[in-house]
Order: sequence, then structure tokens, then C-alpha cells
Amino acid sequence: MIKEPAMEIHPQNIIEENKKREHKYNLYKAILLDIFFVFYSILVVQRAIYYKFFLDLRELPFSWGEIIILFIISIVIGTSWAISRTSLSCKLFGIAKENKTTKWTVEIFAWFLFDITFIAGWVVTKISIVGLFSTEGLQGAERLFSALFHPQFGIFDDALFAMIETIYIALIATLISIPPTLLISFFTARNLMKENKISFAVYYILRIILNFVRSIEPLIWAIIFSVWVGIGPFAGMIALLVHSIASNAKLYSESIESIEEGPVEAISATGANKVQIVWHAVVPQIVLPFLSFTIYRWDINVRMATIIGLVGGGGIGTMLMQYQGLARWREVGLIVLMIAFVVWVMDYISAKIREAIY
Amino acid sequence: MLLKVQNLHKIYKSGTHALKGVSFEVEEGEFLVVIGLSGSGKSTLLRCINRLIEPTSGIIEFQGKDITHIKGEELRQSKMQIGMVFQQFNLIKRKSVLSNVINGKLGSLGTFESILEKYSDKVYEEAYKCLDTVGITDKAKIRADSLSGGQQQRVAIARSLMQNPKLLLADEPVASLDPATSNSVMQYFEKINKELGTTVICNLHFLSLVRRYASRVIALRAGEIIYEGAPRDIDENWFKTIYGEEAEEVEIR
Repeated sequence: MIKEPAMEIHPQNIIEENKKREHKYNLYKAILLDIFFVFYSILVVQRAIYYKFFLDLRELPFSWGEIIILFIISIVIGTSWAISRTSLSCKLFGIAKENKTTKWTVEIFAWFLFDITFIAGWVVTKISIVGLFSTEGLQGAERLFSALFHPQFGIFDDALFAMIETIYIALIATLISIPPTLLISFFTARNLMKENKISFAVYYILRIILNFVRSIEPLIWAIIFSVWVGIGPFAGMIALLVHSIASNAKLYSESIESIEEGPVEAISATGANKVQIVWHAVVPQIVLPFLSFTIYRWDINVRMATIIGLVGGGGIGTMLMQYQGLARWREVGLIVLMIAFVVWVMDYISAKIREAIY
Repeated sequence: MLLKVQNLHKIYKSGTHALKGVSFEVEEGEFLVVIGLSGSGKSTLLRCINRLIEPTSGIIEFQGKDITHIKGEELRQSKMQIGMVFQQFNLIKRKSVLSNVINGKLGSLGTFESILEKYSDKVYEEAYKCLDTVGITDKAKIRADSLSGGQQQRVAIARSLMQNPKLLLADEPVASLDPATSNSVMQYFEKINKELGTTVICNLHFLSLVRRYASRVIALRAGEIIYEGAPRDIDENWFKTIYGEEAEEVEIR
């Protein structure tokens, strides 16, 4: 005998409720975004265009009081605009009224935002055609280029050793990064972690940490570690390692997220447990992309290792830094030439390997 | 009574109301075919039965046990007794046919054992027996994606046989195959149903196949059962009710 369902459900109500809730959230989001848009336009128009462009002030006047007043004004305008359902954000979140007013305001405001952003960008970058073609500047560039194109081969053997050191730094950083990256990538793949709240929290926190680590350039990591473990190849290696883990974990987990769902469904339908599903349905699909990303990372790391040398990460970069400091441009020319050659070879090899394994 | 579905509802997060109070029963040994347009809720129904998706409300009873909301180990145990075959075969492409078939056994193998892929001779024996049932033993060692569509579907059937299922679900198993291959794949389902006594629930599109293989038919439209009965009773009128006024029956032989 089958029991009656514990509670009578009204599907139509559930659907209606979901729609209403979504609508409400979208309105909140639209209000916040509109406030931002209005605040942004007021600030840009006032500071970059009025002060810089028209008045050509060298020192911009700044006071928190003024900013706060502008902010309050934007809150008022943004909120009322969003509530009237004719704003750009309402259109973006799909809750705008369908009429002429919406169409015109959205179109005009979108162009206005683009234009003031472009003008502000031009003003901030201090674009100057005159600077690019001044006689003095051109002479300096000519002197430098002629030295670079007549490299001094006297330091070739030193440079070669430094180059080999750089390649090894990159290789070791890549190799050591593989196991931790593998482990992390499974925990940062949305499709594997979305099932319950705890695993989703782990996924979310790990993602934030990785984003943070990745947003710090390897150059900064090298500075940190050259203080921590002392200047030299070891510091450079750790810097690359940290960056490799953070960047590759993202690429790996994205390739986990883009696997075919079908085989996963099929294996889980056989009653396999979570570990078995990952091992037999997920892993076979991601082996090749993983290999390809890792080889590509080695290639990137060789390029980065030369840069990292500039701040004391060892290898060819450190050598480049020394000769550049002494203004010995012909030696610098040789080193730059060698870096270009190795990067080109690495690029070619990694492309070939990646082609071969697919 | 093998399976009893009562007042089953499924509402997706997007708001789609895919199943609207579906109720039916399946006796042991039946070959039940579910027909209906794409989007009528056929796939959703099968996926609710082996709990690949979570039903919103209603009751699913399998072998007299309520499995609607079981979790964890209990759910795995019931999944192990329900095999499933998919439209897109869903084999692991880079693996051999044999290891694809053995994948069907994962539920009853230890985690460690299955990761090392060191299986006992008994498991291999069983796998070859399942391959023999679908007549594809000679392809055991080659990569799954080098087989033709029909052969891949037979491997998928062998994989589900590996579970020794009480119930075999098939979600449009021949929809991406040509007519001749469709028929031969359907014959394997018939063989399994007749010889091994496995109950089969199968989603199908072609009425000629339905008439030939089904022992009973359920028709779904917009998430509701609109017809239940013997396949030979589906006449022109019923056909138009199920597939819409514009539909015309396409014959496949």
C-alpha cells in the first residue's frame, strides 16, 4: 500500500514564487548597478573631462565631502531610474519596460558611457604624438638599437650557463606544480562540488584563494621569496611554482567543468561511488588537456623565468639586469638575442608536442 | 510488482514542469515502451526512476521499497540493480571496450581495486559473457570510440548487463542510429527481456518499433500520461492525439 504524499503541492505556485523572487533580486541588482553607472559618469565627467580637459588643471582638487555629496546624488538618481524600469541595468537584467523611453535612454546612455570612458582613458594615458617623434628621443633609440644589433660575444659562455639555469628553474617549477595542481583542480571544479553545501563552500573558498594568488604577478612573488629564502634561483623557482599552481589549477578545473556529462551520468547510474565516478568517468576525459596545459606552462615559465631574474630570481634575467645597469648595451644585445632564440625554440617544441598528443 | 510510480512531479529550477502527476505500475518481465514528443517528459521520467535527478514530489517504489528520497549507500544499492542505456551511448571513449563493460560492475567492486584496475578473473569472465550476449566479443581489446554507433550501443548494453539489473532503462537507445541498426539493437533488448527475464522500460520514437517490441505502451504528452495499453491498439486517432494533428506516421522496417 502506497502512502499519500505528505503535503499537497501546487506546482503553479512554486513556479510563480520562483519567478517573483528572481524578479526581486534582479531589481536589487539593477539598482546597485545603476547607482554605480551614475556615480561613475558624474566622477568621470567632473574630474577627467571638466577639470583636466577643459580647465587643464595640473592638481585636481579633492575632498571627501564633495565625493560623498556626489555619491548621494547618484544614489537618488540611480535608484529612481531603476525603479522607473527604464534604465540600462534594468535592460541588462531583463526587467525593463518595453517602450520607446527605455529604448532611447538605454541607447543614449550606453553610448555616453562608452564615449566618456574613451575620453577619460585618453586624458589619463597622456597620449602624446609629439613625444613619440621628437629628435632627441629618436637619437637615443637609434643608439640603443645599433648596440643591440651588434651583440658582444665575449660573454657567450657565461650567458649560456645562465640560460641553462633559467630553463631548469622553469622545468622544476612546472614539474613540482603538477601534483598539488591536480589535487586542487578537482576541488575547484564546479560540476563536481555543487552537490552539497559543505563541498560548495570548499569550492568557493579555494577559488577565492586561487584568484588572489593568481592576481599577484610572479614578479611580486619573486621579490617576496628573494627576501624569504635569499636572492637566487631557488627564490625564482618558488615564485614560478606558486604562480603555476594558481594558474594551472584554474585551467585544469575549467577543463573538468567542460567534460561531457554523459559518461559521468552513465557511471553514476551503475551505482559507482564518488571516487570511482571521478576516476573512471572524469579522469579519462581530462588526461590530454592536462598534459597539454602542463607543457604550455613550462613554455610560459621559461619566458617568465627571464623576467623574474630581473628582481633576483637567478638565471639569465639577473645577468641581463647587471649589464643593463652598467649600460653595456652590446652585452645586453647578446642576452636579449639568446632569450628570443630560446623562447622561440620552446614555443615551437611545446606546440609540436601538444599537436602530437592530440 | 517490480516498480510502482505514483503521482510523480518534477519541476526544474528553470520553472519547467516536466512531469505532472505521473502514475503507473510495471510487472516483472514486462517490456514497457514510453512514447511521446521530445520534451514530453520521457527522459525526465526515466532519470527520476533511477534517481539521476531528484523528483519534486510523489512516490517511486522499486521491489516494494520506497526509493523516492533515499540517499548515500542505500541509493547506490538501488542504482546497482537498475541498468541504464543512453541515446548517446556515453561510453568512455579513450578506454577499451572491455574496461567500459567492467565499469558496469563498479558499484560492487572496492574503490581501491577499481582504481588500480586489477580485477579478478571472475570479473573478466563475466565481462566476456556480457559481451557475448550482445555478440561483440572479438572487439573487446579495441578503443570504444573506434566502433560504429550500433556497436557502441551494444557495448553500452553489455555494460548495463554487467550490473545484473532487475530493471533496464533505455533512454531513446536507437534515436541516433540508422533504421537497420536500430532494429538489430532493439533485438538485443528483446533477447535480454525474453532470455534473461530482465524488465525493460524503453523510450522510443518509431511506432513500427513500438508495435514490434513492446508488451505495453505508455504515451506522455506535456508531462501527463494520455494513453496506456497494448501497442496494437494505437490507431490513427491515438497517434494524432499523441504526436499532434500535423503528424504522419513514418514507417521504418
